[in-house]
Amino acid sequence: MSKDYDVCVIGSGAGAGPIISELSKQGKSVLVLEKGPWLTEEDYTKDEMACCRRSTYTPNLEDEQHVLEEATNNGDWISEPTSESGWDFWNGNVVGGSSNFMSGYFYRIKPKDFRLLSEFGPIKGANIVDWPISYEDMEPYFTKAETEIGISGKIIPHKHQEPRSTEDFPFPPTSEHPIVNKIDKACDELNITSLPTPRAILSKPSNGRNSCEYSGYCGSYGCHSGAKGSSRAALLDAAVLTGKCEIRPNSKVYKLKSNSKGQIVEALYYDINNKPQSVSAKIFVVACHAIETSRLLLASNGPKHPNGLGNNYSQLGKNLLFSGGGSGTGEFHYNEMDKLTASSMKTRGPFVNRGVQDWYYFNDKEFGGHAKGGVIDFLLRHPNPISKAMSVKWNDDDNLNWGHNLKRDLKTVFTESQDLRFEVFNDWLPTDNCFVSLDNSIKDKWGSAVAKVRLGYHEHDLKVGEFLSAKAENVLQQMGAKNIRSSVSGSPPANLVAGGCRFGNDIKTSVLDSDCKVHDVENLYVTDGSFMPTGGSVPYTWTIYANSFRVADIIKSRV
Amino acid sequence: MNTPLINRRQFIQIIALTSASWPLLSKADKLILGQKSDEVYKNLSDPWLSLAEVQEHLFPADAHSPGAKDINALRFLRNMLETPDIDSEEKNFIIQGVGWLNDLSVKNHKVSFVNLDSDEKEKVLRQIESSRAGSRWLFLVMGYLIEALLSDPVYGGNKDTKGWKWLEHIPGFPTPTTEQVYFKLGQKTNINTRRRTKS
Repeated sequence: MSKDYDVCVIGSGAGAGPIISELSKQGKSVLVLEKGPWLTEEDYTKDEMACCRRSTYTPNLEDEQHVLEEATNNGDWISEPTSESGWDFWNGNVVGGSSNFMSGYFYRIKPKDFRLLSEFGPIKGANIVDWPISYEDMEPYFTKAETEIGISGKIIPHKHQEPRSTEDFPFPPTSEHPIVNKIDKACDELNITSLPTPRAILSKPSNGRNSCEYSGYCGSYGCHSGAKGSSRAALLDAAVLTGKCEIRPNSKVYKLKSNSKGQIVEALYYDINNKPQSVSAKIFVVACHAIETSRLLLASNGPKHPNGLGNNYSQLGKNLLFSGGGSGTGEFHYNEMDKLTASSMKTRGPFVNRGVQDWYYFNDKEFGGHAKGGVIDFLLRHPNPISKAMSVKWNDDDNLNWGHNLKRDLKTVFTESQDLRFEVFNDWLPTDNCFVSLDNSIKDKWGSAVAKVRLGYHEHDLKVGEFLSAKAENVLQQMGAKNIRSSVSGSPPANLVAGGCRFGNDIKTSVLDSDCKVHDVENLYVTDGSFMPTGGSVPYTWTIYANSFRVADIIKSRV
Repeated sequence: MNTPLINRRQFIQIIALTSASWPLLSKADKLILGQKSDEVYKNLSDPWLSLAEVQEHLFPADAHSPGAKDINALRFLRNMLETPDIDSEEKNFIIQGVGWLNDLSVKNHKVSFVNLDSDEKEKVLRQIESSRAGSRWLFLVMGYLIEALLSDPVYGGNKDTKGWKWLEHIPGFPTPTTEQVYFKLGQKTNINTRRRTKS
């Protein structure tokens, strides 16, 4: 029977883009079903109301939501729908996905991240495993992403530098904020290696995309210039130009229909008018956000998969990952600087671009010797003024702050200091208490069960996070920052999510095989962050891009 | 943060029980984007008259900084309440809350809110804040006020970028045109652009 398309891809973000681009460039017919609208560079402005105060780029929580399960002090789990808590777990539902709104810190994971169990041994209560592939298998695709996505940076040799097949990044680092000189000096004094942070942002024009305009509003905002390496700007726009790729926005897939052999025959979706539609293809690829991918597969039962696709061994949705760690802040008060320094500290536009990897691996008795650490990144406080003002909306008595007191507090928070923040990224260990299931009592606006997410974490993650946080605080201290504080908790960052369909060699302990194909489904691949059995101690986007390029090569040899 | 998260239906019920119901606006207000909108403060009647007074009390002008009227906070609020995806319960709640506010003013001081002196206004508003529904009402009014101070002037507040200038804020670029405001993006692409968070 003839199929409508060679490949149907569900989702259009970082996990989908490389598949879409590589296969359409090869002449295969590709259909992309994206739940969100198709916004272009003309639509993206620096408007805090659009990006962050209203649900322009993400669903309204009453239309589409999650149910989150958190542990109480006595060990029970209580669940709450996000429409009630306001805890928004969406990251970006538009063509190009949340890669439109990333800040673009791009790190490769390192060779030992592929074999966490063998290198560091088991940790009680954590489902740590080695990956079924090695760093060497992935390296060519990390490199490919550097040019295809456009990654700017500079290699400085250091003790944890991962091996590379090319000497340096294809684009020089983006412009840097003057505060980096203070960071470099403090790190030097502390004998810490301060490293330029690679960014998926073009420092030079490339492939019809402009270089960065340095407006100073990057994370949370869609890019107007095309410099940010979103899946849309870097891959999809060119894929559409091949004439082989069709993108259908506002198309919400609710089920993958499978036959008696267990093969996927159709994707069922609601179109822009909420009418049910279907489409057939030879191969289906799901990459629509780790939680939503598990949700779709769980909802897609069929003759051979009564409990959802790839769930015959109850692995689907399990071992969900966020990112461990936390963040901190230190203040640099303008009244303690000369005028020239103060004015340079107030610069808005260039990036801070500094990070520390000295403790990616470390030795410490407290951690039983050789241990896995993570990455520290420095950044300025987000410039969004409404959200900054909201931070002083409550007074010390927990009443609403208003009148002259509010105005005084606003003036202080806006005009008296430059705040340097840090973020710590360390492994979120996979456990039995972090997983996705379906909540049949709460439906989305189309009537499908929403995803329920249990948000358990491993205590070890906090220990590592606090260790790294203390190191970052030392840097702020050395820089002369005031009012230094930090927070490390088991509260998951909703924008750093992976796992749920871990890949592996054994169908009994994994959902996907090493090619990211569902073990017992001949024509279904998963290429978002879901495949990761452990996440490494970095933001996930580069790994997702690289793996999707890898799987694209595998699929190319099949169709 | 003690963000009061109360089911909106509960607020409405509380309001219905505790105050004379405010007649809902019978005809649609006009949504005026951009800056040609000073007229909003002319010939005010309730609920806008009281809301303008509340805004000015919460965000008063002084010698060195703008107040609610200077930044056109009422224009902003009226615009937002007319956006296509506004939650009608929230809109009604804000408007009905004015009736409640004036009931309390009359009960405590024998005159409506606009006729109170500054100390009396403070007392009435703090008393309102002590109830769950009242606290939610003020939380919403404050939220719109801060948005009026610091959002792009295209939405009708932040007049002549006075909010940004006062707080030495450097905006990004490009800024939205009247055709790029979030609710028009929403209409163009068939998405619901209601409030993203409750905070």
